[in-house]
Amino acid sequence: MATFQAVKKAVALNPTVRTLPSGIPFAPLLNAAVRAPHDPHAHGESGPRSDVAPRWAGGPSLRSSGLVTKTYTSVSPSVNVQQRFISTSAVRKDAPDVPDFSHYRTNPESNRALSYFMVGSLGVISASAAKSSVSEFLQSMAASADVLALAKVEVDLSTIPEGKNVIIKWRGKPVFIRHRTQSEIEEARSSDWKTFRDPQSDEDRVKKPEWLVMLGVCTHLGCVPIGEAGDYGGWFCPCHGSHYDISGRARKGPAPLNLEVPQYEFSEVDEKLVIG
Amino acid sequence: MSVSSALYNTFFKRNSVFVGTVFAGAFAFGVGFDIGVTKFYDAWNKGKQWKDIRHKYVTEE
Repeated sequence: MATFQAVKKAVALNPTVRTLPSGIPFAPLLNAAVRAPHDPHAHGESGPRSDVAPRWAGGPSLRSSGLVTKTYTSVSPSVNVQQRFISTSAVRKDAPDVPDFSHYRTNPESNRALSYFMVGSLGVISASAAKSSVSEFLQSMAASADVLALAKVEVDLSTIPEGKNVIIKWRGKPVFIRHRTQSEIEEARSSDWKTFRDPQSDEDRVKKPEWLVMLGVCTHLGCVPIGEAGDYGGWFCPCHGSHYDISGRARKGPAPLNLEVPQYEFSEVDEKLVIG
Repeated sequence: MSVSSALYNTFFKRNSVFVGTVFAGAFAFGVGFDIGVTKFYDAWNKGKQWKDIRHKYVTEE
């Protein structure tokens, strides 16, 4: 073992470079100014490298104490030292950075009432225009004054004897007025009206039992029925054979409804009937 | 300033009050507008309408 150690020591050489305690390699005879050997990739350039500081600015030099590097002046960096980060994304912020516009804003307190007032005024005018449009349109469908003047008809009832029909014209349509006898009234009231096609009692159709007033237009297709005819002693429509009884109710044939009763009133003082 | 804020607090703060005021105002405006236009029409056509010259032709019995 010992012989091997002695052999090893005899063979081992001193290191050419040793490291100082600070970690810097200590190389006393290193020629730092040596020029690089011929580089086939240098494209013919010779001399010191352009990015090396000039000799007077400092640099390594060999002193008695060894190799010393000293800088006499600060030189601009030979390479671009701008820092490059891996990411170029913008800096993240907690809240969006909105500029302060308060200098440009008007006072909301002073303008608010006026703004709402203008909105409300527009609403008032619009609402009244809409209401006016609707009401004017509906008035255009109403009867005009000349039609309304002819809309009422007066009939002198004293000229109609009992058991007779009278046909008058009212608003372009015939109106039947019958002065019913007592037996006809009893016949109209005694019938079982709940089984009829258009169930209606005689009390609902007349205001005074002896006066039957109704429109003379057949409810089937609008013909004018013939009085005192038909199977029920009332009216008979010659067009399609509808039979109406003495109260004007549809009893037989195609008529779906009873003869219509218009609006009418009796004026008590002078025995007159006002239709309309 | 106080007038406008009083106006705001009275009519505009609640939408129900605002809309109600608008409809009531529309009704009043419609009535007033009709009256005003009728008055203006009568004044403009003074002496030409039947109600102005009726007394010349109709003698009450």
